[in-house]
Amino acid sequence: MKTYKYLILALVGLSIAGCSNLEEEPVGLLSPEGFFSTPKDIQTAVNATYGHMINEQFWGRKQTIALMLRSDMVDLASTETERMEMNNLTTLTDNKMIDNFWPRSFQAIAACNEAIAGAEHVNVADAVKNPITAQAHFIRAFMYFHLVRQFGAVPYMDSPAIPASATISRAPAAQVYDKIIADLEYAVTWLPNTTTSRAIPSKAAAHSYLALVYLTMSGNTDNAVLLAKAFSEAKHVIDNKGLYNLDLDGDFQNLFNANKIDASKEPIFALDYNNFEGADNGYDQLAPMTGIRGDDRNQGGGWSVAVPALKVYTTWDANDYRRAVSMSDGASINGTLVPYTNFTISGHKFAKNRPYIAKYDRYPGAFARINARATSHNYSMIRYAEVLLIAAEASITTNNALARTYINEVRARARKGGATQKGGIAVTVGANALPADLTGTVTVADVLEERRLELAFEGIRWYDIVRRKMGGAPYNVFGASGLEGAKAGFTADDYLLPILANEITRNPNLLPQNPGY
Amino acid sequence: MLLLIFNISLYAQDGYKLSGKVSDEGKLPIPGANVSIAKTTNGVVTDFDGNFQLEVKRGDVLQFSYLGYVKKSITITNQKTLNVVMVENESQLDEVVVVGYGSRKKSDITGAVSSIKAEEINAFPLADAAQALQGRAAGVVVQSNNGGEPGAPIAIKIRGNTSIGASSSPLIVVDGFVGATMPQASDIQSIEVLKDASATAIYGSRGSNGVVMVTTKKGRNGKLTVEMNSTYATQNTANRIDLLNADDFATYQNRIITNGGGGTPYIQGSANTDWQDLIYRSGSTANHQLSFSGGSDKMNFYASGNYFKQDGIIINSDFEKATFLTNIDAQVTDKLKLGLNLFGSRSIKNGVATQSNGSVSGGGDDVITLAMRMAPDQPIRVADGSFSTNDKIGDEVDNPYAVATERLDNTKTDNFRANFYANYDIIEGLAFKTTFGLSNENRTRGIFLPSTLIKSGSGGGRATIENYRNSNILSENYLTYKKEIGKGDLTLLAGYSYQKNVTERFSAGATGFLSDSFSFYNLGNGATYLQPSSSLSEWEILSQFGRANYDYDDKYLVTATVRRDGASNFAANNKYAIFPSGAIGWKVSKEDFLKDSETISNLKLRASYGVTGNPSIAPYQSLASYSSIYASSNGQTVNTITPYQPANPDLKWESSYQTNFGVDLGLLSNKVTLSLDYYNIDTKDLILENTGLPQTLGYLNDKILANLGQINNRGFEITLNTRNITNTNFSWTTDFNLSTNKNKVVKLVKDIDLFDNAAPSYMSGTISNTSILRVGEEVGLFWGYEYKGVYQGGALPTGTLTLPGGVAGDPLFADTDGNTKLEAADKTIIGNPNADYTFGITNNFSYKNFDLNIFFQGSQGGDIFNMTNVQLFNGDSNTTQDFFNSAWTPTNTDTNTPRVGNNSNREISSRFVEDGSYIRLKNIAIGYNFPSKVIESLGVENLRLTVSAQNLLTFTKYSGLDPEVNYFGRSGDNSRSANTVQGFDFGNYPTVRSVNISLNLKF
Repeated sequence: MKTYKYLILALVGLSIAGCSNLEEEPVGLLSPEGFFSTPKDIQTAVNATYGHMINEQFWGRKQTIALMLRSDMVDLASTETERMEMNNLTTLTDNKMIDNFWPRSFQAIAACNEAIAGAEHVNVADAVKNPITAQAHFIRAFMYFHLVRQFGAVPYMDSPAIPASATISRAPAAQVYDKIIADLEYAVTWLPNTTTSRAIPSKAAAHSYLALVYLTMSGNTDNAVLLAKAFSEAKHVIDNKGLYNLDLDGDFQNLFNANKIDASKEPIFALDYNNFEGADNGYDQLAPMTGIRGDDRNQGGGWSVAVPALKVYTTWDANDYRRAVSMSDGASINGTLVPYTNFTISGHKFAKNRPYIAKYDRYPGAFARINARATSHNYSMIRYAEVLLIAAEASITTNNALARTYINEVRARARKGGATQKGGIAVTVGANALPADLTGTVTVADVLEERRLELAFEGIRWYDIVRRKMGGAPYNVFGASGLEGAKAGFTADDYLLPILANEITRNPNLLPQNPGY
Repeated sequence: MLLLIFNISLYAQDGYKLSGKVSDEGKLPIPGANVSIAKTTNGVVTDFDGNFQLEVKRGDVLQFSYLGYVKKSITITNQKTLNVVMVENESQLDEVVVVGYGSRKKSDITGAVSSIKAEEINAFPLADAAQALQGRAAGVVVQSNNGGEPGAPIAIKIRGNTSIGASSSPLIVVDGFVGATMPQASDIQSIEVLKDASATAIYGSRGSNGVVMVTTKKGRNGKLTVEMNSTYATQNTANRIDLLNADDFATYQNRIITNGGGGTPYIQGSANTDWQDLIYRSGSTANHQLSFSGGSDKMNFYASGNYFKQDGIIINSDFEKATFLTNIDAQVTDKLKLGLNLFGSRSIKNGVATQSNGSVSGGGDDVITLAMRMAPDQPIRVADGSFSTNDKIGDEVDNPYAVATERLDNTKTDNFRANFYANYDIIEGLAFKTTFGLSNENRTRGIFLPSTLIKSGSGGGRATIENYRNSNILSENYLTYKKEIGKGDLTLLAGYSYQKNVTERFSAGATGFLSDSFSFYNLGNGATYLQPSSSLSEWEILSQFGRANYDYDDKYLVTATVRRDGASNFAANNKYAIFPSGAIGWKVSKEDFLKDSETISNLKLRASYGVTGNPSIAPYQSLASYSSIYASSNGQTVNTITPYQPANPDLKWESSYQTNFGVDLGLLSNKVTLSLDYYNIDTKDLILENTGLPQTLGYLNDKILANLGQINNRGFEITLNTRNITNTNFSWTTDFNLSTNKNKVVKLVKDIDLFDNAAPSYMSGTISNTSILRVGEEVGLFWGYEYKGVYQGGALPTGTLTLPGGVAGDPLFADTDGNTKLEAADKTIIGNPNADYTFGITNNFSYKNFDLNIFFQGSQGGDIFNMTNVQLFNGDSNTTQDFFNSAWTPTNTDTNTPRVGNNSNREISSRFVEDGSYIRLKNIAIGYNFPSKVIESLGVENLRLTVSAQNLLTFTKYSGLDPEVNYFGRSGDNSRSANTVQGFDFGNYPTVRSVNISLNLKF
């Protein structure tokens, strides 16, 4: 009898041991299998793309700062190699900034592809799901538009990765543009005229980007067909600004005021930051990157990294309200109100006696980390003023009078003045005569100059330089007379960034490398 | 059954009752000794006074055995009483050594096993018992993850790094519980380190890093013993860095400004602060232990409570730990034995951040480096009462005093473990054992940066709290069968094991509090909440294992082991793994031609080969998954999903193929014993990030893993023990061990070099790779420019370059690729952190009631990369007196040190590589056992006083604080860094010098 007792003991022991099939059942982790069943699931997947775009690796810092530094409008105050390579146009194939925004761009594209493929599993009417899927098409076009302007030919991923995707070759730029246009046209078809937030793309956003895409494709060839398309898309937006609820904002400063931007009609597509420090650097740092060292605002001031050359300020008409909004020529540093000529009072080695960028650190709204990191900004990716300027540029040869009207509409708004700040103190700039209306024939150079000032420090200038090849004659923006003086490193090869050497090692089919690298 | 009846009938015929007493040479009774009649199951255990009674008959052979004593056999003639004197076993060869799922006589071991006994473990007080292994076991390298930091984790490595990306830490088995936490040192009876595959293969997929078997103390049959241990120690820094004072510092800064082309002169601050002085203090430790143990024929027990408290040598850092341990064993019937081990502990660590990975911008939380960086002309507080920062010269970081005193970092850890066993002797030689245990670790860490610190990152302070809970269930069942077959001895083991491990975590945080008084206990009061997180991770492992030992004629030994593991975390196509091993041993000294040798008392040859695994696949790692990321939509924070990684069904565990050859030699009645082992470990299928997967695929996790690497470790281990003098009044013994390990990277993904970065992340803009893994080279070599001295102006010396814009006084680097442009391609291997050999030597002397223990430990031939100096020589911090004095100036050109404020931009170069060899007097202890007269008058059994000092002397050429460095760089202390980022010093918490006094009382 006793023995049986122990046998039972043994069996108990064994039975504890014998009850597992070793299958993993992850709780708290998301598995792709069976994820997509309702339209809400598509939207969840689409939303990831917004998460990628606001990341520090993309708009939050790395890509934006790289675009700023490469241009003639923003100089570098720090000595970090990765930034020096961007500012001096001596970028190497292991640049750490590219190593941030290249993968992040493709992560956003993968999220688009996941949403588009996932939508096929959702059994509802096209009218219900396609407007959601169209957001993914729009974002995919948006991301590839950045990539094709940065790198030229890039691998085109139009579906979730499969093993064969690892050996994909680069699609020629023309092919990438075709895909971008197809995606944007899909977006035009399915997106609504207006959305609850400018951070969700609308039909107007798709038209506006089509306009910019055609203009970019035309480049400095002034291709009549492409310009006509660009003009037609832009004009469509302008002519239907009521339908799309768009207009120029009355006060230029509002566009860079996190507390007022939500009410503005000017942004067409924006990235919306929300006073939140997302994990994995899901937040923005443009305010401190462009901010003044020792500045008493924003809990610790800025880091003095991306600072325009002095000439940007001195060549800008002092009466242009946009200069007052775009730049800080005074600040309160350690309790002392000083003009920019004394900004180095902070004692920091990277501090510069030059006016700083003011678009991001003046009205960041509520922010989650000191130095105004993780702000409440909505960064306009494209806004109504730019659409006017696209229309102007595209109609210079075909309808110069109309071009003049569009460009003057933008200049007229600048004359209105408005409520801004200087050195942290509120000031009101009254209406004045400058910048005066342009008269006579408007030239491409006029539009580019207007874009430089109107869209200053918004990550747009570099793309203008590239598409119009402004490093060469007649602009010579990197010559000795350029805003930053001679950028000796510049060659025409610098219009494209290199594909990272590591990425080529991972996928040799990405060869050939862009010229000059 | 029949046999039993037959036996009984024999007794009935000739049996009679024999009484006897067992004592040692000093005539002290030996309680608990085994007395048995050979070839029967009859036997008894001596009582408390060493007495026994047993039914015997003429011709019986009585066998007496007791741990640590030579076995004795006496043939019964007609004795009625028997006084047996047992001789202490000096050779130690008959010690019983704990191996997986059993024990073996040391003389019968065929694998490579090192034993560390209680005396060595307790030679000086330890916060963590793992430290006792340092210098004590050949092939075992022990290092604190952060020098002398109170409560710092201790890393153990056995026979080198067997992995790159997975852990190289051994499996810890405490009283049979797999994956347990270490008990308190004073509760440990012995530690066995299983090193070769023959010994570790029984642990299969978890055996490749070696196994540390810990056995806690058990009660002994006999009188109740109460033991008390108390230790006090004072601790101090052994060393400080000689930095500039305020005046020199101002001169230094002005020289930098001049060298940089001039500008506004440096405005010297009013203070002269020695920041190191402010943060260091005299620390202390106290340890109190009370244990009681005892037992009877049926039952024995051991119970102990321990309290450890340490005040660190940095202000505001302390650690305390209370530990409880109970072992109960009950002989319920002749056949059934039950037992229970209980362990519980609580520790509280109040830390200051040191050696941080630099993720706080500017490295602003790292007290030790801040104390070196911070401008000495700044006061603790500025005029408005707020703390000064270092923004005058560099990153705006808080001063070290502010960080040390204001920042809270509190970790509470609770451990609980219970393990029940039942052992049943089914028939003679066949026993069944079942164990069932569970363990639980619960850890809460809170960090609070009050608003007084700028690195609180936000107005109103920043608080985070995280909780980690890990629980383990373990059920094991196995049969052991022992049988003598002629001259052969066969032992068989077969078993079955199931283990489940569950880890839960959560963390939350907030910033912007109304008051600094909430610490991290009122997150709801924060103005902004940080993203909370929580997770669950589970794994199960289901195993069968078996072992056969066959000894023929006590000369030839054969061991074969196999384990089959199935694990939930293994990928779909590789769910089960089989790990076999085999070993042979030959006791040459038992052969006729050596049996009678006077010189050679023992000679055994051993050889083994086997395969073991590394549990290198984390739960869910092989599954395709989405990750949720934060996005802002419509002014709202929303969660979204994005592709995280593709499925990886072919992923496999990492396997080590290990060969071991060993010789055990005993000379002159084992006065000299020597063990030599040679091993060769090929670790294949190393899991590495497959660099074949481009970023264009858009997975958030770009570290897709595959079994693509291979490394090799080879080495020699020597253990030499000598009993130099053994007189009644004076004895002297020496224990020496030395080990070498040479590792080699054999295969990497497409054989492309892999890099790691040991720079803190705030240096990320300028420093990319500091360590390299290259096929054919050792693991983790330093990578950077080769420093070629100082540029004296004029034409550059052939084959050298400065950084762009170099002028006289700047550092010269070798132009390795000869293209006259300093770039990544010029970087080369500049140092090797792997030691040529490590060793330990202990001398024990005893004279009458005094004893003396002197323990040296050392490491030879490993380089250290002084990352601290990379920061201190960069200009944006204070610097060393040495750098300031020796720096190049136009009038001091005959120097190997570049000018201050030189154009080097924190370049990683051989300028910062130093020889890290050292010999350290780890312990010197004098003990005194009070003479029996005194003891008797006090009514106690034993009273012992020890005075000891640790780390009293260190012989090294290394210029930093301490040659025992362990900085892991930006990635922190993860498995990869622990393998590949070695030999870096960056604000290492220095090993402390301590002086102890201990009292041991037994009654």
